[in-house]
Amino acid sequence: MSQPYHRNRGFVAFFCGNGYHCGEMSIHPLYRTATVLEATEEGRDYLDLLLREPEISQIAGPGQFLMIRAWPGVDPMLPRPFDIMQSDPREQTIRLFVKVEGRGTALLRSLKPGAEVKITGPLGRPIEDFSYSSLAFLVRGAGAAAVVHLAEAAGAQGIVVYTILSASAASRIVCRKYLEPVSTELIIGTDDGSEGYEGPASDLLDDLLRRKTVDRVYTCGSRRFARHVQRLDREGRIKGFVFLEGLMACGVGDCHGCAVPKNGQGGYFLVCRDGPHFPIAEVAL
Amino acid sequence: MIDTSVELAGVILPNPVLPASGTYEVDEVHEGFFSPSELGAVINKTIFMNPRPGNPPPRIWETPCGMLNAIGIPSEGLERFLAEQLPRLRRLGPPVIVSIAGNSVQEWRDLAAAIDSTGSADLIELDLSCPNLEEGFIWAADEAALSEVVTSVVKVTRLPVISKLSPNVRDISEMAVVAERAGTAVVSMINSHQGMAIDIGTRKPILGNITGGLTGPAIRPLAIHSVFTTFKKITVPIIGIGGIATWQDAVEFLLAGATAVAVGTQNFVNPMTMKEVMQGIADYIEDAGFSSVRDIIGLAH
Repeated sequence: MSQPYHRNRGFVAFFCGNGYHCGEMSIHPLYRTATVLEATEEGRDYLDLLLREPEISQIAGPGQFLMIRAWPGVDPMLPRPFDIMQSDPREQTIRLFVKVEGRGTALLRSLKPGAEVKITGPLGRPIEDFSYSSLAFLVRGAGAAAVVHLAEAAGAQGIVVYTILSASAASRIVCRKYLEPVSTELIIGTDDGSEGYEGPASDLLDDLLRRKTVDRVYTCGSRRFARHVQRLDREGRIKGFVFLEGLMACGVGDCHGCAVPKNGQGGYFLVCRDGPHFPIAEVAL
Repeated sequence: MIDTSVELAGVILPNPVLPASGTYEVDEVHEGFFSPSELGAVINKTIFMNPRPGNPPPRIWETPCGMLNAIGIPSEGLERFLAEQLPRLRRLGPPVIVSIAGNSVQEWRDLAAAIDSTGSADLIELDLSCPNLEEGFIWAADEAALSEVVTSVVKVTRLPVISKLSPNVRDISEMAVVAERAGTAVVSMINSHQGMAIDIGTRKPILGNITGGLTGPAIRPLAIHSVFTTFKKITVPIIGIGGIATWQDAVEFLLAGATAVAVGTQNFVNPMTMKEVMQGIADYIEDAGFSSVRDIIGLAH
């Protein structure tokens, strides 16, 4: 009767007496030193980073993220947030996928195996509801990394997973090797037609919905896709969710930097505390 | 065994380190870092009378050795604060500072009176210096407004009042004198320095609020100068704030004349900072052969 995905929670004692997993009970994020095991460049702009850290890797759930800082001194000052693409409690590892865009991510790219980095995590809300039978991802670019952990967890629960990977060109398709093994069907779309469908990958989702039963859709990496999924959600065709980003300094709800407007009701969510994934009907896109 | 305690207007802090308002939520999420009961004092994110949503994003922007913010102080409003957050702060153990901000003199007074009547606060901090409010008015940058707020608040509370001062003035030490004459028991300095950034691609200001406040190590020398020049002009104690990233930075503030220090932006960078600063100050005092933190306050003069 207990909620799924215990296997990734290791020995952390946070179960209620009745055996139900207490979703509302927060696990304290930890601030720890992690060791770089692998730092692999993927194409021009991407970095696949494998870290060893014995505690955070035990408690990180799907949908969660961490803050990482890999340089001394005060410039650049702030740690950077990344989705936890995989966490392996047995190997005590955490895998991140980084799009190199600015100074902080360029410094991450220069990391060598053996280097030590500071991480705070797990952050954000873990995804704990697996009470449905089929799931589709509509993800673009490095946004694919956000859903890998969820895809693995859902697959382990017997949920059928469809993955639509979108990119500007074939050379920009990332995380395929992580999503392929856990996807019943993996569909590619590129803007230039260099691989798979040529055109907006939201067409691929529409096509999938015509062919298959899909209960939920998670999208990440494209505002345009998010609006499309929000429309499908509004029409009642699927239940949609979106992973959002925000400029954030702390990751734990202190700085209030990562505000995203609520849909219709005024006010803001914090990506770090209320997300990073949201029921897509609830956010203004 | 060295004595780390300091005194702010009759309130004994077990050590001189506290969070700057709005940079460290004292809640269960943070208990995995260190226990907030170890802090010199605890303080809330500034509370307003009514709930406020805060400013539109983008709200923050990293700058060299610092960051701009224009959060706009989202607030749950007084009622929920009194019901939920204040009792939690009180239970922790360290002295409780309640940070308030009003939109009118009447509101400042009403807030202070309401906080006083709970019996759960040890000090009240007046956030007179946030640069990011839609009203666009910095109380602590106007001598008459500063004086009027402090004068009216001290009439309605027995609690010692802290005036948080703004660096966006000609001479902050003169504003500290104004606050002291009006009856403040403590001053805290400095709040963030007004700043902004422009996106050269869109050719528009980056922050949703257009302007923001600069914090972090970039402003530390400005803050040290403020504390140093104010120390000799007033008799009330100073809480030093501005870009403290390490215990060495905190010691610098104590030497300049601060009785206590508040860590702000660095809490975002390393959530263990305040714990490290507390330990570092104690070790420094011991290694240098002093017996009390109080021995080094203002020693740079």
